[in-house]
Amino acid sequence: MTDRDDAPERTPEERRADHAAIDRLADELLPALVAKLGASGLGELAVREGRWRVRLRMPGDGRAARRPASPGRSTSRLEGRAAAVGQPGPLPGGQPLPPAVAPASPGPATPAGSATPAGATARAAGHAGSEGTTGAADPGSSPTRVVATSPAVGFFQPRARLAAGARVRAGDPIGAIDVLGVPHEVVAPTDGIVGATVVAPGDPVEYGQPLLEIELLAPAPAPAAGTARAAEGA
Amino acid sequence: MFERVLIANRGEIALRILRACRTLGIGAVLAYSEADRDSLAAQLADEAICIGPADARRSYLSASALISAAIVTGCDAIHPGYGFLSEDAGFAEAVAAHGLAFVGPSAEVLERFASKEGTRRLLAAHGLPTIPGSDGLLRDDEHALAEAERIGYPVLVKPSAGGGGKGMRMVRTPRELQAALRVCRSEARAAFGDDSLYLERWLEENRHVEVQVVVDRYGHGVHLGERDCSVQRRHQKLIEEAPTPALPEAARAELAERAIRAVVAAGYENLGTLEFLVDRDQGFYFIEINCRIQVEHPVTELLTGIDMVATQLRIAAGEPLGFSQADVDFRGHAIEFRINAEDVAHDFRPQAGTVERFWAPGGPGVRLDSHLYAGYEVPPYYDSLLGKLIVWGPDRPSAIARGRAALDELVVDGIITNRAFHRAVLDNPAFVEGRVTTSLIDRVGGAAFLAPRS
Repeated sequence: MTDRDDAPERTPEERRADHAAIDRLADELLPALVAKLGASGLGELAVREGRWRVRLRMPGDGRAARRPASPGRSTSRLEGRAAAVGQPGPLPGGQPLPPAVAPASPGPATPAGSATPAGATARAAGHAGSEGTTGAADPGSSPTRVVATSPAVGFFQPRARLAAGARVRAGDPIGAIDVLGVPHEVVAPTDGIVGATVVAPGDPVEYGQPLLEIELLAPAPAPAAGTARAAEGA
Repeated sequence: MFERVLIANRGEIALRILRACRTLGIGAVLAYSEADRDSLAAQLADEAICIGPADARRSYLSASALISAAIVTGCDAIHPGYGFLSEDAGFAEAVAAHGLAFVGPSAEVLERFASKEGTRRLLAAHGLPTIPGSDGLLRDDEHALAEAERIGYPVLVKPSAGGGGKGMRMVRTPRELQAALRVCRSEARAAFGDDSLYLERWLEENRHVEVQVVVDRYGHGVHLGERDCSVQRRHQKLIEEAPTPALPEAARAELAERAIRAVVAAGYENLGTLEFLVDRDQGFYFIEINCRIQVEHPVTELLTGIDMVATQLRIAAGEPLGFSQADVDFRGHAIEFRINAEDVAHDFRPQAGTVERFWAPGGPGVRLDSHLYAGYEVPPYYDSLLGKLIVWGPDRPSAIARGRAALDELVVDGIITNRAFHRAVLDNPAFVEGRVTTSLIDRVGGAAFLAPRS
């Protein structure tokens, strides 16, 4: 889905313009919003920018706190998506995703019942499930945030007094996995602002499971995909 | 019986344990490394939990990761399969210390049988003949040379820990021995973390015959007959069959009975395999014991109708064996072919890649234990076993005929396997006449079997 940006209704020029708009929003607006949302303790935040509407939602709706006690092939998959950007118009074959950013004004004609923003949404969230190795960051990481994943199998405890909105540097301890009574430190995979906690304190976690989101501070200079790759390599 | 078992292994044996759990009505949780996320067992298990990265030292060989995974998923037992931590007394002890059951012998029993050299002495004391060998472990090169002289060349240098042919060399002269000691020590240290070696007299033209035993916690044990594993390459078994063509029925019965008497007397428990070398004159010598389920256990299952993994789980749960020697019937002949991702034409080079097509053979007396499926990516990190084809027939010729047909039916595209090698062995007169010795393939070379026959 990531590369299927070829909705027939739109000309290449329109597509490029949309991509540029999405990139600009992702690079400039989203980090600030994410920080604001994390610090505010609010569940959701929506702003309007030109003909685009950006909506952020904390993944604290129960989907996020996944327990390995559920069937494991889904255990390993991350769903929490704090930020996503949608593009106007439908994509053929695209799966419906909850719209996060949608054109505020009706964009190009949308066939009834198939409002399926995808494109950039997939780009933002589409790096999940790659081969995370160091337990640093990976599934669910996006251009605007990096997810700290579990370095071991055990029970997760976030660092005391580590609140959403706090600034952390790469390598700062952000919690620990209790493995048979021995704590294994979890460190921030990147500089940033502590965002949503994906698992609840004391929850059992598997190796590589997303624990905590770190929202990036500065807009990334590189294109979105490149940023995400760099984050994966962290 | 257990409620939920953690499967601490991968590949075909993970699937085999899963199947045993299902038939016993036990929940099965699969512990997998990141490289095995898409494995068939991970998809079929009631639950699957990622325990670490592809590197086995941080996943399948990590005692803490496995035990933690069992606790996190609410398991009450861990089945280690074969290889990895299956015979590790320290692991068995840690599992028990966390209130979980280890599906295998207790730590104390594993400890008692951990040293090959010590086990030889122990079982010799209980009446098993052993190969003349060095007086204990080799202290240094001088001791090794003196002992080799006393035993008589050629001798086999063997590591006290581990198995699988690592750190093992046959030498014919003192000079070869000195060179081999260095190599074997470093191989043994790398593979088992223990570089102690001992010597054994090398028996020419020998066959590898092993006896399957099963002993419950109450000292009640039976043997499940023997298997012949003489088709080997560099001490790696490729084909196993039962009954052995090397011994007449009376000798087979005597071998099995002496084996079960000795291990019961020595206090063994759970499933185990005693390996023997059988020489030209049908003399047999005990070499080592494997304290776990074997790769080739289906051969015995087809002959006896006993589900050995289920039996292993029942014994580990503290149940009595529930049958006696008189209840065990041996019917017909079974042969197992290890289907490996290996390029026989290029010195059995291991292969990795994606299985594009996979057709399993079938029909009467045909069983395939394999974790393959079309689209499965064979990871490069682990052993090359893709599965096992096991055939049964009322007698050896009919088992061979079914083996030929089944191997012809088996299709694995996208990755090179040793299927053609097995097919060629089934047309080889030495195999058909039951004359294969353990050194045949190393002497002739695997590629020779693949050469077109006129």
